[in-house]
Amino acid sequence: MRRALFVCLLLCLSVTGDAGSQTVVLVVGAGSHVRDLEPIAIRKLFLGLPVFVEGAQLHPLRNRSDPQLEPIFFQQIVAMSEEAYDRQILIGVNRQGRLRPPEVTDRKRLLELLYSDPNAVSFVWLRDVAHDPRIRVIRVLWDE
Amino acid sequence: MRVSRLVIVLSLLGSPLARGEPLQHEFLLFTSAEAVGTFDRAAPLTQLPDESLKADLLFTLQYGSFKLFGEYLLSDHEADLERFQFGWQLSENTIAWLGRYHQPSSVWNHEHHHGQYLSTAITRPAIEEWEDGGGEIGEGVLPQHFTGMLIENSRSVLSGWSLRTAFGAGETPVITPRGMEPFDLLHPSPAHGELGFQARAALYPSEFSETGAGVLLAYDDLNAVSWPANAALKFDRVDLALYGVFGTYAATSWKVLGTVYYAKANMHAASPGMDHYFVVGYVQAERQLQHEVTAFARLEESSDAAQSRYLRLYPTFARARYVTGVRWDFAHRQALTLQGTDSRTLSGHFKDIRLQWSAALF
Repeated sequence: MRRALFVCLLLCLSVTGDAGSQTVVLVVGAGSHVRDLEPIAIRKLFLGLPVFVEGAQLHPLRNRSDPQLEPIFFQQIVAMSEEAYDRQILIGVNRQGRLRPPEVTDRKRLLELLYSDPNAVSFVWLRDVAHDPRIRVIRVLWDE
Repeated sequence: MRVSRLVIVLSLLGSPLARGEPLQHEFLLFTSAEAVGTFDRAAPLTQLPDESLKADLLFTLQYGSFKLFGEYLLSDHEADLERFQFGWQLSENTIAWLGRYHQPSSVWNHEHHHGQYLSTAITRPAIEEWEDGGGEIGEGVLPQHFTGMLIENSRSVLSGWSLRTAFGAGETPVITPRGMEPFDLLHPSPAHGELGFQARAALYPSEFSETGAGVLLAYDDLNAVSWPANAALKFDRVDLALYGVFGTYAATSWKVLGTVYYAKANMHAASPGMDHYFVVGYVQAERQLQHEVTAFARLEESSDAAQSRYLRLYPTFARARYVTGVRWDFAHRQALTLQGTDSRTLSGHFKDIRLQWSAALF
């Protein structure tokens, strides 16, 4: 509840001022049944491990549309260095044929994927989705 | 033919449960090139060709909770479908596989499989060597490839610790005069193995921790096929029981891992023979240095190996081995490794030095 209020507050501030310009949030499509994800589940998701919500396997989308998101991804989401992450991804493919999280380099394409796939999960700057009714913010990942 | 039928049937079974899901795929290629020089030889048989080139292709097709996963190894002396598994992700924590798999009671092979780039050392410990070399010198003494069912699970226990388990049951390889032969999905032969069982359980302090420890168990009946009647060692079956413990300690710049196996082999010749025991263990230490350089050393030792009737089938098995080397990750997903090895086999000893380039592509 407190987290939902915090997210709402951030969204309201972003409408009235410049708040959110340096905030990274976890997002899903408006039609998604994902309400929240714990940090450990987010980490598993972006490491290519299976994460289920209401019986459906989630699809991570790694947002690579902005180089400034890269250090936030490694520090806040997967909590490891770029080299260690790359190795973990290779290990996952080698051991169990896990899928690497798809990398999306175009922001519009990323949003389209989120609109169309109710199991897709990604992360974006709050300022990019604050006024988008087809995107739902489920968690603040990083705030300057 | 049997493989394609299996895939079609399982795909039809799986389709209702994956409705609405996109068909996803993955592809990864591990490659390596290696040159070996042997010296100080005091063994009738040393080891390995002077050079080798390998390409290890991994591919996945995933449709909802179902996946088809394969590994095909192509080298200048081998081409084999190493793994071919149809998987069902039963939950976040559990996946069940049907097909040809690497047995779970080898923690080394579970971690590296054939992905040479993911292994710090060039060679694997002698006890973890692959058994399917077709009689190649230095091949493994334990069965590694099975065709059957494998279940892998990872669950949270003891407030935050992670218990990872794997259980396999499948058709064992058979022992032939050319070495051990696992069931070949691409060229199935009428020679049948028995049912073998393998298990691994390990405890880790967290879900993402590399540091942990566990136990290994396996029981496999290995039939002898086309074994010559006039052979010095007469048998028609080997009952092989394996018990092991393993552990890994991974810090920021250090990693130490080790495994000890206690093996009990009973060689039947018309009637059960005597049980014979041997113990094999190894410990490997890795230290990350500056400039993407990693130094490593491995000690492999055994006990009662020379007295084991079963190991007499494998005179090039290294009963002791000392390995040192350095690896340099000089570019993205590319490494150069230099390794020196001193091997004491059951029939003599020799040393070798190797240089390898390895990479992960795509």
